[in-house]
Amino acid sequence: MRNLLELSWRLLRGGGRQAMLGTWLTAAAVAVSSALLLFAVAANVAFGARADREAWRHPVAAAGTPVAIEATSQDHVRDRIITIVDVAPLREAAGVRPPGMSRMPRPGEVWVSPGLAELMAGLPAKQLAERFPGKVAGTLGDDGLLYPGELVAVVGRTPADPAMTASRADQPLTTTSPTKIADFAGKAGDEITVYRIMALIASVLMVVPLLVFGGAAARLTVARRDQRLAALRLVGATPGQVVLMTVAEAVITAFGGAVLGLALYGAAAPLLGRIRMAGGSWFAADLWPGVLPVLGVLLAVPLLVGLSAVVGLRRVVVSPLGVARRQTPPAMRFVRVVALLAILAAVPAAFRNTSAAVVAIVLALAFLALNLVGPWVVGVIGRTTTRTARSPARLLAGRRLVDDPKSAWRTVSGVALTGFVAGFIGLLSPSSDLLGEPPATTGLRLTVPAAQAPALAGQAEDRLAGAGIDARVEVSGSSGDSGDSGRRMLTITLPPAAGAARTDTARTALAGLVPGRIATSPVDERVLGDQLLDDVRTGTLIVLGVSFLVAIASAGITAASSVLDRRQAYALLHLAGTPLEVLDRARRAETLVPLAVMGGGSIVTGMFCALPFVPAVMNVTGALTLLVTVAVGFAGVVGAGALSRPLLRSVTANPAPRPD
Amino acid sequence: MSEIVLSGRRLAKRFGPAVALAGVDVAIGRAEALAIMGPSGSGKSTLLHCLAGVMKPDSGEVHLLGQRIDTVRERERSALRRTKFGFVFQFGQLLPELPAEENVALPLMLGGTARARAVREAREWFGPLGLGGMEGRRPGELSGGQAQRVAIARALVTRPAVIFADEPTGALDQATGHEIMRILVEATKHNGASLVVVTHDPEVARWCDRVAEVRDGMILPGHAVGRDGMGLSRHVEGREGMGSSGHAGGREQGRTRVLPGFEGSDA
Ligand SMILES: Nc1ncnc2c1ncn2[C@@H]1O[C@H](COP(=O)(O)OP(=O)(O)O)[C@@H](O)[C@H]1O
Ligand SMILES: [Mg+2]
Repeated sequence: MRNLLELSWRLLRGGGRQAMLGTWLTAAAVAVSSALLLFAVAANVAFGARADREAWRHPVAAAGTPVAIEATSQDHVRDRIITIVDVAPLREAAGVRPPGMSRMPRPGEVWVSPGLAELMAGLPAKQLAERFPGKVAGTLGDDGLLYPGELVAVVGRTPADPAMTASRADQPLTTTSPTKIADFAGKAGDEITVYRIMALIASVLMVVPLLVFGGAAARLTVARRDQRLAALRLVGATPGQVVLMTVAEAVITAFGGAVLGLALYGAAAPLLGRIRMAGGSWFAADLWPGVLPVLGVLLAVPLLVGLSAVVGLRRVVVSPLGVARRQTPPAMRFVRVVALLAILAAVPAAFRNTSAAVVAIVLALAFLALNLVGPWVVGVIGRTTTRTARSPARLLAGRRLVDDPKSAWRTVSGVALTGFVAGFIGLLSPSSDLLGEPPATTGLRLTVPAAQAPALAGQAEDRLAGAGIDARVEVSGSSGDSGDSGRRMLTITLPPAAGAARTDTARTALAGLVPGRIATSPVDERVLGDQLLDDVRTGTLIVLGVSFLVAIASAGITAASSVLDRRQAYALLHLAGTPLEVLDRARRAETLVPLAVMGGGSIVTGMFCALPFVPAVMNVTGALTLLVTVAVGFAGVVGAGALSRPLLRSVTANPAPRPD
Repeated sequence: MSEIVLSGRRLAKRFGPAVALAGVDVAIGRAEALAIMGPSGSGKSTLLHCLAGVMKPDSGEVHLLGQRIDTVRERERSALRRTKFGFVFQFGQLLPELPAEENVALPLMLGGTARARAVREAREWFGPLGLGGMEGRRPGELSGGQAQRVAIARALVTRPAVIFADEPTGALDQATGHEIMRILVEATKHNGASLVVVTHDPEVARWCDRVAEVRDGMILPGHAVGRDGMGLSRHVEGREGMGSSGHAGGREQGRTRVLPGFEGSDA
């Protein structure tokens, strides 16, 4: 056992330059996979952490004795959102306090987040600071903030304060009504939950190609060892010993790669932390997925690679002659296609069920089915190419596709699966006109109780005049969406081209006019929607970027390994006068033909899976994303393949090729 | 003696400090078989590679049918190897994904022959080489001896002037090795081609017209004698016979298909 491991280690180190190159390629592939896997895990953990930090702003009614009343609303300054949490303590309760605060706020106090404090200091008091009644008693810690720089104010009030008694139920999206609470545990907000689901879907879309990639990397080590292991087998090593040695070798390499991947992720984390999502970037701690997940990745990746190595090695172990005896592989069975069709048939039904888990599972299944169908289609393409080939390059390409459709699929699978992702989110990525034209008016709106509407309109005019703003205030019918006849809407028309400063002055003047109510402009009401659209776009780009990285890296690695695999035959062909260009052309055709067919097929499949989500036709942004995807994908694969040309030159340069 | 097809003069080659060839003179006549023997590392493969235009010697000259070939650029040497030479190696020269007949047809296709015709011509070699019925098999489905016969067919299919074989039977058992060697020598001769074969087996060397014994990058004088008793030095001295005339007709003769008529025995 010890001797065997030592021998594996020696084989690993002493395999010569090209074997070493293969080992490095594997380690690099595993490193990229692990880093991206960590990223996918960290993204979910990070949104989870955000959800936890924000939960206290979604009060849950107390079952027992309440300790406080909590309500929330949203204000705006410039184009940013301020979250306002009103808290009225009911009684002393040791240890009960909002996250990020050292104690319960007292009536008349305001606690502000560092970002808000900075903004209050930077802007004239008339535009922002005066909105908050009472003195600033403290700064909110990071524990209670979604992201660094978030604007949050906690306003302490008495239980009798009208703001703590009036319902805000008519504005469910931006406010919560006063709720008696027993603690600040709260619950996950709807918005963050949407983000968590999207993060999960994005992870699925990224992880499946990563797994395929990792498998390909493992096969890379095995492929190069075939001959040597067959030789070991010939001199009498038992199948068990051969398996142990290969797996040990693959696992050692993969573990090194995984550690490298962790370092890579660590190096990239500060950059990743700057990606803005849901209004802000990330705390450094958010990007650390936690000890257990990291250990999980560090252990699971080498394990998976080892497993993949065992599977790839079965062939050699079965026959001592190993790869020397290669037969025509049995044709791939049509069952694979049936599986894909069955899953696609289930898509509309499954997606009508809005459960995120079901959607994620079906998506993953469709993805895997595509991966299953890939080799079958590649086989069909290979037979067609072989039948119709006229040039030697085409014939070589076609025969190779027929010979090993799985390995050919591995080369293009990354990009093809990215095609699936692009097709899926290409349809989903919403165009900005989903929300209609940006509003032209610069006015503010404020909902008021119907009985006091005329009086409040007068007061509003007075306040605005006092702040030096010449505005017109009109009372209109019930505020549109709630249909509540007990309410009226004050429409405050500001002078044309009032500017952001003037609008913020008007907001500040109107603050507290109606307890718990905040004047908003039509522009404000779009901020959240715009933010979500921006985030979906960012997420799309990230997923596509990751998919591409994986796809291109895997295309490069498989191209390199295909050269290493065949170096003997290539070198001898070259010796016999075969121009290397013919071999280059063959290798290019062997990649591009299946890429064109499978890439197109995957895009269509992805679009089909996205259809249930979008009733509308594809928008310009989506079409553009798709086009760019296709262009970058092809260019990337061709480029990555071209990188192996020097390798081909180098393996054929040695005029006396010997099997190592 | 017959006309000299290929000759090397004062060939020297070193790899770093290691001297692989130390000034070798050698010549091969038309349809002649030359065996190169010698211990491992003595420079046999290097000599073969220099003669075949695979490698440039550090000094010395290589002439094929009166034309110097060691100084031309790699591109042209590559074309030369494809058209004028055929190669048989120990193993691993057949592409595993191609059926046997396409492996044989490949050099023809590379030369511009249409696929259907190339495959048809390739098939004609199977029966005489004892490979009847193996046309559609892939190298992995052939025995070692059968694979070498396919390799011989592939080397001969373009009707080259010279066949180079580097330990073509090294991976086979002795009986099969002798069988393959006999086929190689006879098929080459019947097609009017010359043969340069590196081998360790003295029995195998007996199939050849002459034997050159290589030691430390030099041909031992006393051993450069074949079964016809002709000394190597005579061939080398016979350079004046290497005029550019006279070989064209012989080349044409090589083009007329003369397939060996031996019965196909299983290897
Ligand atoms: N590509 C090479 N690089 C370095 N040394 C080489 C190379 N090819 C051959 N040699 C050296 O040249 C000498 C002759 O090699 P070779 O012609 O292969 O011998 P043989 O075929 O007789 O076994 C040996 O010492 C060998 O180590
Ligand atoms: Mg040798």
